[in-house]
Amino acid sequence: MGTLDYIWLGILAVFQGPELFSIFGLPVSVTLVMILIGFLTGIAVGATPGLAGPIAMAIALPILISIFGYTPDALLPVMGFLIGVMKGATIGGAVPAILFNTPGTPDAYMTTLDGYPMTQKGQARKALRVAHFSSASGDTFSDIVLIICAPFLALLVEAYLDFPEKTALLILSLSFIGAVIGGSPAKGVLSTGLGLLAVYIGTGEDFYPRMSMGSDHLSQGFPIATSVLGVLIIGAVFKEMTDLWHQQRKSGTPPQFTDEGNQRLTRAEICRLLPFVGRSALIGTAIGALPGIGSTLAATLGYTVGRARHARTKSANVPDFGEGASEGIAATEAANSSVSGANLIPVLSLGIPGNAAAVFLILAAESIGGFNPGPSVFRFTQDVVNPELVIAFGLFTAMFIANALNWTIGGLFMRSMGVMVRIPKHILLPTVLLLTLTAIYVQETRIEAIWFALGFGALGYVMRLLAISPLPFVIAFILGGKLEESARQAFAATGGDAWFLFSSPISIGFIAASIGIILFSAGKKKHAA
Amino acid sequence: MRHSNGNLILGGVTLAFAILVIFVWIPLDTQTGLIEKVRRQVTIGDALAPTIAASFLAIGGLMLVLFERNADDQPRVSSQDVLFGLALVASVILSVLVMRYSGPATISIWNLLSGGEAEYRLLRDTAPWKYIGFLLGGTMMITLLVSLVEGRVRARTLLIAFVSVSVMAAIYDLPFDDLLLPPNGDV
Repeated sequence: MGTLDYIWLGILAVFQGPELFSIFGLPVSVTLVMILIGFLTGIAVGATPGLAGPIAMAIALPILISIFGYTPDALLPVMGFLIGVMKGATIGGAVPAILFNTPGTPDAYMTTLDGYPMTQKGQARKALRVAHFSSASGDTFSDIVLIICAPFLALLVEAYLDFPEKTALLILSLSFIGAVIGGSPAKGVLSTGLGLLAVYIGTGEDFYPRMSMGSDHLSQGFPIATSVLGVLIIGAVFKEMTDLWHQQRKSGTPPQFTDEGNQRLTRAEICRLLPFVGRSALIGTAIGALPGIGSTLAATLGYTVGRARHARTKSANVPDFGEGASEGIAATEAANSSVSGANLIPVLSLGIPGNAAAVFLILAAESIGGFNPGPSVFRFTQDVVNPELVIAFGLFTAMFIANALNWTIGGLFMRSMGVMVRIPKHILLPTVLLLTLTAIYVQETRIEAIWFALGFGALGYVMRLLAISPLPFVIAFILGGKLEESARQAFAATGGDAWFLFSSPISIGFIAASIGIILFSAGKKKHAA
Repeated sequence: MRHSNGNLILGGVTLAFAILVIFVWIPLDTQTGLIEKVRRQVTIGDALAPTIAASFLAIGGLMLVLFERNADDQPRVSSQDVLFGLALVASVILSVLVMRYSGPATISIWNLLSGGEAEYRLLRDTAPWKYIGFLLGGTMMITLLVSLVEGRVRARTLLIAFVSVSVMAAIYDLPFDDLLLPPNGDV
C-alpha cells in the first residue's frame, strides 16, 4: 500500500460508502449527503445571531450517532456533517454582520466595520459576494496547507518523539493554550487547571475511584459530553441570556436599504481583492495551525494588515477601511475562514484540539470509536491497510467536497439567509438549552448527566462573568486522560525515572518552552497593566 | 481611576483552593500517593495527576496575584448578574424536577382515580405517558427562562414553548426507537 493507494481509498470511502439513493443509476453515498446537510445547516446556524457551529454540532451529535450507530462506517458521515457545519458556519456569520450590523459569530465582528456601511450604500449583495469569495478562498487555501502539513507533522512526531517527549509536548500544548487563549494568561492557566482537575475526579487506576468523596455518582467520573457541553454551550446560553436581560431591547424593525447599482463582482474587482485575500489567508492559516488561537485574533490581524496596505495603495475615490471598503471585508473574512482548516492540523497530527469545532470532531471520534486522532493515524503500513489512515484521507476528501459546495451553492444559500436574524434570540436560547440537555440525556440516559451538565453550565457562566475563557478548560478535560496515560507509559519506559521529562533534549526543550510561554505571557500582561 | 481588585481576590481564592486540594482533598480521597512501589516495581500513583492539575490552579492563582492584580481589564461582577444567573439555574432545576417526577405523579393520580395499578416504569416507552415529563418540564423550562428575560409571563410564550418542546420530542423520539426522552431512562 503506497501513499497514493491510501489517498484513493480515502476518496472511495466517501464516494462509495453506504448508498443513500441513486440518481440515473449513479449511487449517492450517505457521506456526501451528510456533508451537504451539514454545510447548509452551518450557514443557517452561522447566520443566526446567538447560535454558532459548536451549538449545532452539540445538538446534532447524539442524533447522528443514533442514526449511524457505533460502527466505523458511521465515522465519515458523522464527521463529514460536522466538517460541513464548521465550514458553513464560517461563511454564515458574515450574513447578519453585513446586512444588520450584528455579527452572527464573534469572529465576524470585524466584517461589520465595512460590511454594514456597504449595505447602507445599497451594496449589500456585493458585500455578501465579497465575503463569500474571500471566505471560500481562505478556507480552500487553509485546507491545502492542512492536507500537506498534517501527515508530515504526524510522521515527524512518530519518528522523533517517544513517550517522555509526547508527555512534554502535551504539557507544552496545555501551557500554550492556557497562556494564549483569552486576554489573561493567568486565567487561561487557571481554566486549564480546572479542566484537568475535573477529568481526574472518579478516574485513575486504583480500585477506589480517586477524589470521588465516596459518592457513587462521582465514582465513574464526569461524562465528557456533560463537561464539554455544560461549560461550552450551557454556560454560553446563561451568559447570553444575562446580556439580553441587561440590554434595553430596541423596538421597531431594523432599517431597510435598497440595493443600488451593479451587485456582481467583476474580474477587476476580484484582482483588486486578491492581495488582501492572500495576505489574510496566510495570516489565518499560520494562526490557525497553533492550537488555541482563535479566528477572532486572525480576523483582527488580517484586518489590521489589510488596512495598512489599503492606506498605502488606494486611490482617492476608494473608501477607507471602516467606511465601506470591500477590501476590509475581504481581509477579515479570508483571515477568519482560513483558521478553520489549519486548526485541524494539531488535531489530526497531534490529537490536540485547537478550537471548539475540533473538540466536537474529537468527541465524535471518541463516541463512535475506531478513529483516534493523533500521530498514530498516519502510519503508512505496507502489508495491511491502516483503516484510520483511510478515514483521515476520507476526512480530507470531505473537506474538499465542502469547499466545492462552498464555491458552487454556498454564495447563493448564504445570500438567502438574511431572514435568520429575525429569530428572537431570547426564545431561541432557552430552546437551545433544552435541546442541549436533551442531547446529553439521550447519550447518557440518566438524569445525573443533566445535573452534571447543569453544574458545568453554572461553572461556565461564572467563568464568563470572571472573564475566564472556557476553551482551555474543555481542551484540558479532553487531553487530561491522555496526559496521564502518556506519563505513566513514559515513567514505565524509563524504568521508573522520576525525571523522565528531562531525559532528552527534545523533552527538555518542550518543558522549557512551556515555562517560557507562561512567563513571557505573564510578563507581557504585567507590562501592559 | 481606581483598579478593581477582582483579580487579586480571584487569585487568592484560587490559590487557597489549590492548597486545599493538594494538602487535604487529594491525600484524604486518593488511595495511592504520587509514586507507588508495588512488587518492586515503581509506578505513578493516582495522586500525581490531580496534584499536577492543582499545581496549574496554584500557578494561575499566583500569576493573578503577582502579575495581573493591577490589570486594566478586570471584570466587575455585579450582584445582579449573580442573582440572575441563580434565577436561571433555579428555573432549570425546577423544570428538570418537574420533568423527572410529573410522569410517575400522573400515573399515581390516574391510579387513584381509576383504581388501577399501572406503573410508570412499564409505560415509559408508551405514548402518551412517555411524553408527559418532557412536555411539562420542557415547556416550563422555556417559559420560565423567556419570562425571566422579558420580565413578564405571557400566554404567547407558553404556547411557543409548548410547540417548540413538541417539535423537539418529535425530532428525538419519532424516528428513533432506541432513544429515550428524559426522564424515561431513569424511572
